[in-house]
Amino acid sequence: MNFWQRASSIDRRIIFILLFIAVVIPLIFNFKLPNRVTKEVQAVYDYIESLPPGSVILMSFDHDTATLPEMTPMARALLRHIFTKGEKVIGTAFLAEGAAIGNKAFKFVSDEFGLKEGEDYVFLGYRPEISSAILGMGENIARVYPKDYRGVPLADIPLMQQVKNYRDIGLIISVSDNDSPNAWINLANARYHKPVAPAVTAVMATTYYPFLQEKQIIGMVPGLKAAAEYEQLINKPGTATVGMAAQSIAHLLIVLLVIVGNIGYFMLKRRNA
Amino acid sequence: MLFQFFIPSRPSVRAYEMVVDWTQTIAIFTLLVGITGMLKYNLEKVSRKKSGYGYNIVTIAGVLAMALTGLIWGRSEGTPFVWIFDHVQSPMQATVFSLLSFFVASSAYRGFKARNTEATLLLVAALLVMIGRVPIGDFISSYFPKIANWILDVPSMTARRGIFIGIALGTIATSLRVILGVERTYLGRS
Repeated sequence: MNFWQRASSIDRRIIFILLFIAVVIPLIFNFKLPNRVTKEVQAVYDYIESLPPGSVILMSFDHDTATLPEMTPMARALLRHIFTKGEKVIGTAFLAEGAAIGNKAFKFVSDEFGLKEGEDYVFLGYRPEISSAILGMGENIARVYPKDYRGVPLADIPLMQQVKNYRDIGLIISVSDNDSPNAWINLANARYHKPVAPAVTAVMATTYYPFLQEKQIIGMVPGLKAAAEYEQLINKPGTATVGMAAQSIAHLLIVLLVIVGNIGYFMLKRRNA
Repeated sequence: MLFQFFIPSRPSVRAYEMVVDWTQTIAIFTLLVGITGMLKYNLEKVSRKKSGYGYNIVTIAGVLAMALTGLIWGRSEGTPFVWIFDHVQSPMQATVFSLLSFFVASSAYRGFKARNTEATLLLVAALLVMIGRVPIGDFISSYFPKIANWILDVPSMTARRGIFIGIALGTIATSLRVILGVERTYLGRS
C-alpha cells in the first residue's frame, strides 16, 4: 500500500483517537483563543442593556439533556447578564426535560447573586403543546400556568403580581435545540409584537438568519461560539470560552482530514486513469 | 381563532381562551396516549421474549423509575428524581450525542469527496464555514469569518427562504384541503 492509498483510507479508530486528543488537550491545558463578538450576539447583549432595571424577561428552556454542554453556558451567561442588570426573569419549558434543566440553571445562577425565588425570578415549569401555551400566555399567563414549578399558586408569588401577560414582558429568549423559537416568532412576535431572541445550537443557527435579516428577532446567540462571545461581553469567562479552543482544534482536524482524503482520492484517480 | 384575531371583542376573546384551554387539555391526554402506547409496545415485546427484549425491560424500568420517584418524592433538589436526572439521564444523553462527533469526523473524511461540481461547491462551502465559525479561523486570517458570514448571509439564506416559502405554501394548501374536506385520510378514509 503506497502513501496515497494510506492517506485515503485511514482507519476510523485512528480518526477517533485523533479527535479525542484534539478535544481533550485544549481542555486540560485550558487554551484560550481570541473570540470576535458577532453582530447578532452583540444585538442581544445591547437589547438587554437597554431594558430598564426591574424589567421582566421571559426565558424558555426548550432543549433536552443531549445538548446540555452547548446550551448550559449560554443560558448561564444570559442569566448572569440579566441578573447583573437587576432585571427579573420568568422561566418556562415546552419540552419535559427543559423543566429540570431550567430549574437547575435558575438555582445555579441565582445562588451566585443571592436572589430570591418568587421575587427576582420565577420558574413555571413544563407545559405541553407550545403553540396554544404561547397564545394562552399572551392573554393570561396564570391561565396556562396556575402554579409555578414548586406548586405555589401564581397569585401568591410577588413577581407574578406585576405580570399578567406579554404586555408586562420586555423580551422573550428561547433557549432551544429544536425549532421552538419558530413558535415564539410566529405567535409571540408576529401576533403580540414581543421582541424575541433565540439562543440555539450551532446547527439550528442557519434557520434563524432569515428572521434576523427581516428583524423578526432582535438578535441571536447561536452555539458554543456565541456563548463564549457572551461570556466575553459580560466579562466572565466560563466553560464556553474553554470549550471554543477544543472546538476550534476539532474543526481544524476535520478540515485537514477532509483535505488529506481528497488529495488521496485524486492522486489514486490520476494513477488509475 | 381567526375571527378573534381580526375582530377582538369580549365574546371572541372568551371563545379564543376556551379553544386554547381545550388544546392544552387535549395535548396532556395525547401524552397519556403516547405513554400508554409505548408501554404496551414494550410490554408485548418482553412478554413474547422477542430478540433484544432486555432493552425493552430497561425502557419500562426507566419510565417507571422516573414516574414513581417524581410522584412519591417530588422534583425538588435532593430528591431521587433529580438525582437520577443529574447522574443517569443527563450524562447518558450527553454521551450518546457527543459520540456523534466521532462518527461525523470519520464519515466527513470518508464521504466528503469532490467527485463533481456540486459536491466540490458543497465541500468548499462546508470547509470555509467550519473554519470561519471558530476563533482559530479568525486567528489564521480575518478573511475566514467574513467568507463564512457571507456564505451564511447570502447563499445559505437564499436556500432557507426558498424552503420556508415552499413549506408555507404546502401548509396552506394542505390546511385548505383539510378545511374543505378534500383531504380525509386523517379520518381513516382514502
